[in-house]
Amino acid sequence: MFATDDTIVAIATPPGSGGVGIVRLSGGRAADIAGAILAGRPRLESRRATLTTVVEPSASTPIDRVLATWFPGPGSYTGEDVVEVSAHGSPVVLQEIVRAATAAGARMAEPGEFTFRAYVNGRLDLVQAEAIGDLVAAVTPLQARVAFDQLEGTLTTAIGRLDRDLFDLVARLEASLDFPEEGYHFIDAVAAGREADALASRIEELLATSARGRLIREGCTVVVLGRPNTGKSTLFNRLCDAPRAIVTEVPGTTRDLVSETIDLEGIAVTLVDTAGLREPEDRVEAEGVRRARGALGAAVAVIVVLDGSRPLEADDRALLTEVADRRRLVVVSKRDLPARWGVDAIDADRRGAPVVETSLLGDGEAVRRSTSAVRTTLAHVIGSGGCEPLRDSPAISNIRHVRLLEASREALRRAARAAAEGAAEELLLADLQEARRMLEDVAGRRTPDAVIERIFESFCIGK
Amino acid sequence: MGGNARFDVIVIGAGHAGVEAAWAASRLGCRVGLCTLSEATVGHMPCNPAIGGTAKGHLVREIDALGGLMGLAIDATGIQFKLLNRSRGPAVRSPRAQADKRLYGRWVAEALQGQPGIEWIFGRVGRVVVERNRIAGVDLEPVGRGMRLAARAVVVTAGTFLNGLVHIGPVQRPAGRAGEPPSRLLAESLKALGLRWGRLKTGTPPRLDRASIQFSRFEEARGDDTPVPFSFLTNRIDRPQIVCHQLHTTAAVHDLVRAHIGESPLYNGQITGIGPRYCPSLEDKVMRFPDRERHQILLEPEGLASEEIYVNGFSMSLPAAVQESLVHALPGLEGAVMRRPGYAVEYDFVQPTELTRTYETRAVAGLFLAGQVNGTSGYEEAAAQGIVAGINAAQRAREQPPFVVHRDEAYLGVLADDLTTRGCLEPYRMFTSRAEHRLRLRIDNADLRLTARGRAVGLVGEGRWRRFEARRDRFERNMDAVRTSKMTGDDGRRASVAHFLRRPETTLADVTASGALVLDVAPGEEATDCWSVETTCKYRGYLEREDAVIERSRRQESRRIPPAFTYQEMPGLSVRRHSAKRHGSRVSRQPPSP
Repeated sequence: MFATDDTIVAIATPPGSGGVGIVRLSGGRAADIAGAILAGRPRLESRRATLTTVVEPSASTPIDRVLATWFPGPGSYTGEDVVEVSAHGSPVVLQEIVRAATAAGARMAEPGEFTFRAYVNGRLDLVQAEAIGDLVAAVTPLQARVAFDQLEGTLTTAIGRLDRDLFDLVARLEASLDFPEEGYHFIDAVAAGREADALASRIEELLATSARGRLIREGCTVVVLGRPNTGKSTLFNRLCDAPRAIVTEVPGTTRDLVSETIDLEGIAVTLVDTAGLREPEDRVEAEGVRRARGALGAAVAVIVVLDGSRPLEADDRALLTEVADRRRLVVVSKRDLPARWGVDAIDADRRGAPVVETSLLGDGEAVRRSTSAVRTTLAHVIGSGGCEPLRDSPAISNIRHVRLLEASREALRRAARAAAEGAAEELLLADLQEARRMLEDVAGRRTPDAVIERIFESFCIGK
Repeated sequence: MGGNARFDVIVIGAGHAGVEAAWAASRLGCRVGLCTLSEATVGHMPCNPAIGGTAKGHLVREIDALGGLMGLAIDATGIQFKLLNRSRGPAVRSPRAQADKRLYGRWVAEALQGQPGIEWIFGRVGRVVVERNRIAGVDLEPVGRGMRLAARAVVVTAGTFLNGLVHIGPVQRPAGRAGEPPSRLLAESLKALGLRWGRLKTGTPPRLDRASIQFSRFEEARGDDTPVPFSFLTNRIDRPQIVCHQLHTTAAVHDLVRAHIGESPLYNGQITGIGPRYCPSLEDKVMRFPDRERHQILLEPEGLASEEIYVNGFSMSLPAAVQESLVHALPGLEGAVMRRPGYAVEYDFVQPTELTRTYETRAVAGLFLAGQVNGTSGYEEAAAQGIVAGINAAQRAREQPPFVVHRDEAYLGVLADDLTTRGCLEPYRMFTSRAEHRLRLRIDNADLRLTARGRAVGLVGEGRWRRFEARRDRFERNMDAVRTSKMTGDDGRRASVAHFLRRPETTLADVTASGALVLDVAPGEEATDCWSVETTCKYRGYLEREDAVIERSRRQESRRIPPAFTYQEMPGLSVRRHSAKRHGSRVSRQPPSP
């Protein structure tokens, strides 16, 4: 755990050179320490950038011309006093500024410590704190969007609504047990069971976003498979929009795995090009083929590439059968050459998998159309048709949240079943309380007395 | 100093906490001095003449299972018994009974008089004597000129006596209970030890003259036809049961309260202590819940022969004349004579976070506090603390290890744990929802949970123990029988009786009626025998899941916080929490100073 009573400093921008780099100070002495390292101790105005110079505190040697901005707590990112110094983005300069700040009394921050302080000071809840990690690590714009939604509290709000309604149900049911002689009708077991079921369905809806949410957050791997010289590497390069894999007319050119991460409609897809599948001619190729099959194991989806300019072979059909239980896309290549077979020839073998016929030679309109068709269909295959607008429903992308919500839903369903079977309220409550604990693990805990507090605030109890 | 008496344990006060403490300590072989002002107020019920209720009934069963007095006392003197939550699950069923309060007090006094080792001391304790952070005894008033009583352990059960202040409208008078003067010197002597204090408030309704009420105008409220006893030693209760009467407040009553609200010490700033929300005054009911059209009121006799009727649900601190007009505004009570007005009482209490789970003060070894002085309300909560404090005072005096009851073991444990780790912001009352292990902590198995512990520490006598052993053996035989006996379901599948009993719709009575099973039951104990077998089966799935949780939290609890752990570096802990005492992994969560 981190201490929180001192003032911490770190470079806030990524490592390496950039136009501008930021050094951030947070803690009770942030303004003080900033004063000590700025020439002539300029008066920093709240939330206003001041052009000034950072100096080495003991020798007063200038380090860089900078913009310094003071964000007084608690209205800052961490909830503490924060000073941000925007300097020229050389790693050396930024490190010098950090060194000056530590010499003036700041401590080097540990990774994540600014966010940790924001959490401890109540500026962020746990979901939001986790979302910051995701946002910072986002590769695709859609990843950033989902993380940002969580940061904005969209998910917290949705879970918060669930949690609040469940809490209210628990309080009413508890009241009916602890205050049986009040002449109040709080709620009976049957009605409570119905409410539990409705809550379980609401969690279900939230979870429906999770498959897509996780795909967005974690991305996925797609492996390109096919016999040698069917045009796998050509397709791979087109999808990457760069000549990443060597393409020749020599069968067996690709021997090792070649991978590249692409942004496929917002999803970070790691595309893996593989060696053509055939009886290997040497040990290197044999290893390449073994690796190709290994890559299949880790992949969420497969692109099977079949050469449309050569006759279909038994191996092609065998490959289609082999991947029949996977998410897959069949690409028929080299349609710029005379076709030796039509798509109907593989109707039985592909078992409903989508097919895209491509022509990827040169750089004409046909190439762009083919590439675009593969991309769209592939997105459909891996997203399992999940093209719903993300802005409307919060996407759950964090596996911890998914597990807790699933456990909560299960407990609610148990309560609903028990109620339907005529079980006593206290048994329903055992499950409802468990469901509540799970939601609170996402949204934050209440105090042990909260249920009783709620009962007293809602009902006139007692004689 | 002359006249020294050497006691193992001195108990100050003979209310519900004090009598259990004195009883327990003497049963453990200690020489006990029981200090009280008068024999007339032993086991007194200054407020509602009733014992039990949801969760409170559980506490009484547990006190009984350990070998305490309260269950036997109410069984012997109860005049209307009712098992609450009868239509709900077995874990929340709880007995409640109205007592003949005069007989109850006399029964308790006689039980203590018949117990060897208890010496009665009629006088007022003015000071606890502490030497080097250890209790040395007490000084009787007048301090300095009175007697010093030396003791190895002292249990203070001062109730609401510490700086008690009674309010009836604008009239205030310092008071203890039922007209007795408050204990000001004792309060000062305890404060001098540096314990943290707070101030609470509670109240009681007016009492009416029985002869002046036309009961025929009200709805009757009856108890159960067959009373369910509190004590495991009571087979059945044959005493005739009385009838209570129910009525409701009206808009006219509410208007009258609003018209006089400025005269209520609760609403004009005269009272600063915090009252219990689960026992709201009439003023609170009307002012805080303006949408509610009426509130329930029960007329309860204070005894078989008593002339006083307790007006349950009508507690207030308005001026006596206003109270009288409010009573007369109730339909059917137009001609009722008010014998005593209701009142509010403010009193000092010690934040129980100053105590360990044995109710011993952290500051002074051998000094124990139990009952309302710890911020609780209710006779049952007081008695529950009294018995545990009494046992531990005896353990301390005999230099034996402390007797701690855990949360997953008994409501007694929930009570001790809640009080000593969280403290009180309002008078603490037990609820079943406070017990996270509620399904386990039932009235039918209180003896299975606690009697062996009572025996081990020396509180359970030979008679109770033999009866318990027989009952436990029957239970185990019966559990074997339900596991091994087979029966056929509606779908033709054969399975054990235990399996079928897990279904909510299958009852043990159905099974025994079908002849699939013969249970071993003792005459007079049929209900307990059958009930605990049936519930154990029904709850099995839930209890197994709960076991896993208990196991996890026990592991957490036994995790020691390293001595070198620096609380100051722990984010999110306030300064007060930094200085909190620790036991195991627990850290006191103390409420802010009132």
